[in-house]
Amino acid sequence: MSSILQVKDLKVSFRTSGGTVKAVRDISFDLERGKTLAIVGESGSGKSVTSKAILGILAGNSIVESGEIIYDGKDLLKISEEEMCKIRGNRISMIFQDPLSSLNPIVRIGKQITEAMLLKNKGNRRAAKRDFTNTLAVLAQNMKAAVGEAGSARVDELVKTFDAFTMEALKQETAYNAAYAAAEGLVSDIEDFLFLGGKNQKLDVRARLKEFSGKLKTVKNPYLSKSADAELERAQGTLNALASAYKTPAEGAPVLNTEIEGALNNLKALLTRLTAGTRPDFFGIGFYLYKNPGADLTAKPVDEVNRETLSYLADNFMNEFMTLAEKGLAYSAAEAVAKKQAALNALSDAEAFFSRGDYDKKSALVKAKEISAVVEGAIDRLELNKDPLAYTFRTSLVSGVEKYFTAVVKNPREEARFAKQTAKRDALIAKGKNVDWKVVPKTVYDLDELKAALPAVCARMKARFEENIAASGSVEFRARAEGLIAFFKAKASEAVYRVTKQMAKEKAIRLMEEVGIPEPRIRYTQYPFEFSGGMRQRIVIAIALAADPDILICDEPTTALDVTIQAQILELINRLKDERHLSVIFITHDLGVVANMADDIAVMYAGKIVEYGTADDIFYDPRHPYTWALLSSMPDLDTKEKLDAIPGTPPNMIYPPVGDAFADRNKYAMKIDFEMQPPEFAVSDTHWAATWLLHPDAPKVTPPAIITDRIERMKRRAEGGN
Amino acid sequence: MANNNSGETLLRVEHLCQYFKMGDSVNKAVDDVSFDIKKGEVFGLVGESGCGKTTTGRSVIKIYDITSGSVYFKGQRICAGTQSYKDAIKEAKQELSKGNPTEARKKELEEIIRVNTEEIKKAKFDHRHSDEEYAKTLVAQIEAEYAPKLEAAKGNPEEYKVMTAQYKDALRVAKKTKLITKIQMIFQDPIASLNPRMTVREIISEGLVINGIRDQKYIDEKVYDILETVGLVREHAGRYPHEFSGGQRQRIGIARSVIMNPDLLIADEPISALDVSIQAQVINLLNDLRDKLGLTILFIAHDLSVVKYFSDRIGVMYFGKMVELATSDELFAHPLHPYTRSLLSAIPLPDPHAEKKRVRITYNSLAEHDYTVDKPSMREVAPGHFVWCNDTEEKHYKEILAQPQE
Repeated sequence: MSSILQVKDLKVSFRTSGGTVKAVRDISFDLERGKTLAIVGESGSGKSVTSKAILGILAGNSIVESGEIIYDGKDLLKISEEEMCKIRGNRISMIFQDPLSSLNPIVRIGKQITEAMLLKNKGNRRAAKRDFTNTLAVLAQNMKAAVGEAGSARVDELVKTFDAFTMEALKQETAYNAAYAAAEGLVSDIEDFLFLGGKNQKLDVRARLKEFSGKLKTVKNPYLSKSADAELERAQGTLNALASAYKTPAEGAPVLNTEIEGALNNLKALLTRLTAGTRPDFFGIGFYLYKNPGADLTAKPVDEVNRETLSYLADNFMNEFMTLAEKGLAYSAAEAVAKKQAALNALSDAEAFFSRGDYDKKSALVKAKEISAVVEGAIDRLELNKDPLAYTFRTSLVSGVEKYFTAVVKNPREEARFAKQTAKRDALIAKGKNVDWKVVPKTVYDLDELKAALPAVCARMKARFEENIAASGSVEFRARAEGLIAFFKAKASEAVYRVTKQMAKEKAIRLMEEVGIPEPRIRYTQYPFEFSGGMRQRIVIAIALAADPDILICDEPTTALDVTIQAQILELINRLKDERHLSVIFITHDLGVVANMADDIAVMYAGKIVEYGTADDIFYDPRHPYTWALLSSMPDLDTKEKLDAIPGTPPNMIYPPVGDAFADRNKYAMKIDFEMQPPEFAVSDTHWAATWLLHPDAPKVTPPAIITDRIERMKRRAEGGN
Repeated sequence: MANNNSGETLLRVEHLCQYFKMGDSVNKAVDDVSFDIKKGEVFGLVGESGCGKTTTGRSVIKIYDITSGSVYFKGQRICAGTQSYKDAIKEAKQELSKGNPTEARKKELEEIIRVNTEEIKKAKFDHRHSDEEYAKTLVAQIEAEYAPKLEAAKGNPEEYKVMTAQYKDALRVAKKTKLITKIQMIFQDPIASLNPRMTVREIISEGLVINGIRDQKYIDEKVYDILETVGLVREHAGRYPHEFSGGQRQRIGIARSVIMNPDLLIADEPISALDVSIQAQVINLLNDLRDKLGLTILFIAHDLSVVKYFSDRIGVMYFGKMVELATSDELFAHPLHPYTRSLLSAIPLPDPHAEKKRVRITYNSLAEHDYTVDKPSMREVAPGHFVWCNDTEEKHYKEILAQPQE
């Protein structure tokens, strides 16, 4: 399983008038591709802060003290706002808790759903084009180096051909797609029209007929409607004739006469036939047209064209190009391995430099930049599976240095204030007064920790390079070359994929159907207040999905909804996750909701993950007292005894407890719980909990009866069910 | 949970209708709902949002003027609507003017009009003057209580003076006391339902002050007492609501309603806005209070597992109608109405294996029932188990109940 998002040692604090609130303290987790991770905890446990940190929408008074959030080879905490904009809402999207306040009340639903698609499209196209060109240039360079002087002219020619014909192919494909979308849209328009006409709705039949006849023009495309152009002409003529002959009845609801109905049904059948055909493969066609400009391929059936052009492409271009690409890849990989070998020494050197600690800001920065250049030089730029560690090396190291020196910089005023207030407080205490205020510390960072992080970055990088070198013998270059071609295709199609308003509307309507909103065409033009709570939440989900994200963050999406709607929304999120291969982070305080959704569960308390495991681990074998408390404080249908409420309130995070944060409210707490932070004790490969109860020397404790009984019941039920 | 099946009826709701006018149309928020609550029991009201459960609660406590039906509290009618009588009169008048009734029928119709006009008068009187009637009984009680005391103290002029002052004070409070204060409400959102500009002391004591109690010392004592009862400390009295956490705020809301020494507490989704762990605290608190103060609770919620845990009897509402009413064990063991089944199938459980297999039943009222000929009504299909159904369905439900359980 590959992880799509990694959170490492994240620490977030908020500076408030009362002091620094440590909201998230050192949490790490991996989100696996296509899985759901649930984060469970009370309010104030830092679960929402974590999700906001991932999206980069933390409040202004927040400080990210340390940590990394790695997505797609980038550290989301360190990239610029411009780069973040390309990820936020586009690759990672979020569903908020309250559907009422997360929709704009004065903008129609349709506009709110299409907004992201239209806004993101231009940037996406540019970025894809840039990726395409850059990667192709690197490939060309490597291919030339691999074949030497003699073949370099040929390589240039091939690369030029590749670039040109791919773009040509995609222009054709875009035109085809637009016509295809228009045909599909027209079919559903006709369906709506006939449906409403059948219900005696008031319709302007003449205007609609003219509209349909106008839209028929946009359906024409040599690859789509060549065989049926004459029929389309005829249909258009019929519609026009019907429209001009149609008289609005003098009184009563306008009727849809059988003649019009028949004509529309015929047209619908024709369009359905057209869209049902095989898709032409434009990759092959593009190359053929590039080599033989002006050739007409549209006469032949699509299957034949596909076969012929693809074999033509393979014979005349692709085979040679693939061989060269393979060589280029092998050369680049070998280069990279050699450079990595060389970089190992430099890394050891840098590690030693940062461990010694006798550096000032200037020399540290110089060293950091120097070593970063070496590391970046050693990256294999043709490796599509980007190694986040290497790509984020520069930002990690440089920002680490910057942060350390900003933290140590002298601030006489702040220090004076701290000294004065501490003295005052001590004096009051010495007098025997009851002091109920505390002094805001002068700095929020742990300097030793920041300093120790610097050599650790180098050490980790070194270990990774060593791994890479060891694995370098077993690379399949043929497979990688194929992957590279697929990458080029994908990037090229993104680069020419222009979203028009009409296309965005069609997509929005499809999305609304997908999330289960009935009659989307009517709903499209309505305002949020015209929807019920469950429907509003569906719209929020549709907006989140509009940009086809990889990761969906759901922040208590069902807390504001009631039971039946809650079940529907959960089913919807589950279904969409499977259909779209989403990875989901699901935040909630209700463990009951989680049982259905989650693959993995992280239980958070006071800014730390206290227990982590699969859903089965957490529900059938909970180990941390806090998880017990959460489970036993909610009744299920068989609960009769008094609920085990968690006494007290969560600790004040301005002064986080020294030991286990839950110790104060924990009836199983031992002496050590108040003195030392428990480490993560592994229960199984997938399951760990941070509690001293799992220490081998700890006394044996049984969970509360309410939980053991319930687990017993669940096991019996499971056996009975099977 | 304790069952008080034999207890006296504290609240009786008969054919309660609450309509809201929306331009030309009428929104039937609550339509012909009847139930009764016995002393000391917890009656749960469940249903999805918009089904009228909150409106029912609010109608009972006279926040709305009900459209028709009656609510009896401690045997006294406190709310009464007139719409049903008006409709009857209108119908009779129409028949008189349009149809051509026989002499005997005419007499009958005139009788109907007379009876219903009478009923409207009575209903209006009860609706407006129920509090005064209650105050009168209270005054009579106090007079009866103080008469011998005053008589006894006549010899001692000083004691007599004190006694008279006390008597007058008690009389003043009694005259101001309203029956409706014996019903109190806890609201859903502890943030929105507490005035941010009042201290906790002011919030909690407001009801007492409005009722005419002026003895500041007595009020303070009472406030401290109640604060301790709900698990807060007396130092909290001087603070403002924003200084408390969600669970503590809900405790203040509970304290405010309990200080009036109510007989009936209407808890309108008191835990929906709270965290899981705090939910348990609040439920435990309500349970304790119920034992300690002998409260009767009308518990409105949409979280079925909590309602099941907390209530003795449960009424299920769907679009303004009560569709099923039974004891909580009975309802969960033998749900009969298809809507109840759909609701039960949607409960999330803390059991991943069972959850993965759970199939949600969808409910479509039009597809499930055919009420064109055979009209439905509330029927008792088993002792204490009522379902909204027609003849065919009643037969069907009885068959289901008669079947041996798997």
